[in-house]
Amino acid sequence: MNWTKRYPGWTMFGSMVGLLFFLWGVAIPLSAAPDPIGPAAQQFAEGTRITVWLTVISGSAGVVLGVIAGMGKLSKFLPLRWLCDFYVWLIRGTPLLLQILFVWLALPSILPEGVVLSDFACAAIALALNVGAYNTECVRAGILAVPHGQIEAARALGLTPLQGFVDVVLPQSLRVALPALANNLASLVKDSSLAYVISVVELTMVGYRVQAESYQPVPVFLTIGVIYLILTTAFTTLTAALETRLEVGQKR
Amino acid sequence: MSDPNNQKQIIVARNVDKRFGSFYALRGVSATFFEGQVTAIVGPSGSGKSTFLRTLNRLETHDGGEIIVDGIELNDDIQHLDAIRREVGMVFQSFNLFSHLTILRNITLAPMRVRKMRRDEAEAKALALLDRVGLKNQAHKYPVQLSGGQQQRVAIARALAMDPKVLLFDEPTSALDPEMVNEVLTVMRELAHTGITMLVVTHEMGFAREVADRVIFFDEGTILEDTTPHAFFTNPDHERAQAFLSQVRHGF
Ligand SMILES: Nc1ncnc2c1ncn2[C@@H]1O[C@H](COP(=O)(O)OP(=O)(O)OP(=O)(O)O)[C@@H](O)[C@H]1O
Ligand SMILES: [Mg+2]
Repeated sequence: MNWTKRYPGWTMFGSMVGLLFFLWGVAIPLSAAPDPIGPAAQQFAEGTRITVWLTVISGSAGVVLGVIAGMGKLSKFLPLRWLCDFYVWLIRGTPLLLQILFVWLALPSILPEGVVLSDFACAAIALALNVGAYNTECVRAGILAVPHGQIEAARALGLTPLQGFVDVVLPQSLRVALPALANNLASLVKDSSLAYVISVVELTMVGYRVQAESYQPVPVFLTIGVIYLILTTAFTTLTAALETRLEVGQKR
Repeated sequence: MSDPNNQKQIIVARNVDKRFGSFYALRGVSATFFEGQVTAIVGPSGSGKSTFLRTLNRLETHDGGEIIVDGIELNDDIQHLDAIRREVGMVFQSFNLFSHLTILRNITLAPMRVRKMRRDEAEAKALALLDRVGLKNQAHKYPVQLSGGQQQRVAIARALAMDPKVLLFDEPTSALDPEMVNEVLTVMRELAHTGITMLVVTHEMGFAREVADRVIFFDEGTILEDTTPHAFFTNPDHERAQAFLSQVRHGF
């Protein structure tokens, strides 16, 4: 993976384009494949798109949640700290599957009437809450890793605490937190498969349906496995390149 | 010592106390500093030199007495604090350059955020300051790519970019390899002639003797001597100061 270090910009661009290309183009090679796969190529492509969307949306929301809760955990305001501790404790101590089912089945009865959540939205909310809790710990550790002298220098220059946080602490802590955040994102690609229990037609669900119709689980699940591998590799490459970009100034 | 009668008071400290738990790091410290004056602050380790300097821009809060900077009292009032931090710059022993920003961005950050300067204006100013400390061609490097002496000169340029009336130095050469001490002292010597007020905590007795208008000797949280360099180095009043001086001389 040396080239990702040498050309981070290009790698990032390349894996982005690759991912998009793969997303829209996967149906074409698959349709040329022999029987159980070929006829279902459009279904596979649609499932891949849903999986990527689910990952990107809940992943982005999860990073925002992680930053907010990570800051909250370090707040001087005690109730806020308790709230964030509680959130992380709750999410990390219960199964993701239960969280998904809870958002899908229990949340609608709590929400005001008239608010209708699609299955996809329920899955995205549950996944974002889940990955957000894991991100919280990474962000908190990242913030704590910023040397106190950096904050003092910002204060001494007249930056407000908020400016100091946004311009100095946050970029430096994200640089520290990025490998762990990337790890969580790669897990999210796989965790999103659990959305199939609430009938979101993502990749795993597609595989389940196609094998049920064709009675040929081996080629179907192999294909699904390969698609997941390509997706996780693309996400990992993307974050590795991002990491290299943020590393400037760290190494001689 | 400069004549206090025809000079403006810029910092007035009256009976300043600072406690860490039950330990008094400063007790009843009083001193008045005048515009354009260069004061060397010396004393044994742990005598409260850094603590005193850091109360002057409220990196430490004082527990008793009062501190007035350029006519503004230093207290919990955020607006007072912002105003004072704009007037008072600080140079740290460990440089504390922002590691994720280039040299140029290190210098332009505070003028742009705090003084709301336009980017091109701030950059022109930064480049002029870098020229002044002899580092114009390093503008696009990152702090880690510079030697300690170069980093400290950048830190001085960064502080100067805010046009402070007072510059606080906390052992600016103590973290440097011996061969880099002079390049920093040279910059400080030039600064001393520009009329900016300087308070310099230092173990460089040569610098104190040669450049300072005034020497303050700290011991156990109090000011024991406050006099001219000549008087301090030839004939200090207190035994503790004599002991300190002979120790320093033997160290060299
Ligand atoms: N944050 C802190 N918490 C507790 N004690 C502290 C703290 N900062 C300083 N002190 C104590 O206050 C005293 C004065 O410290 P200070 O750093 O001002 O000394 P100094 O004169 O600058 O010494 P040096 O020459 O070693 O830098 C020391 O005894 C130190 O241990
Ligand atoms: Mg000190």
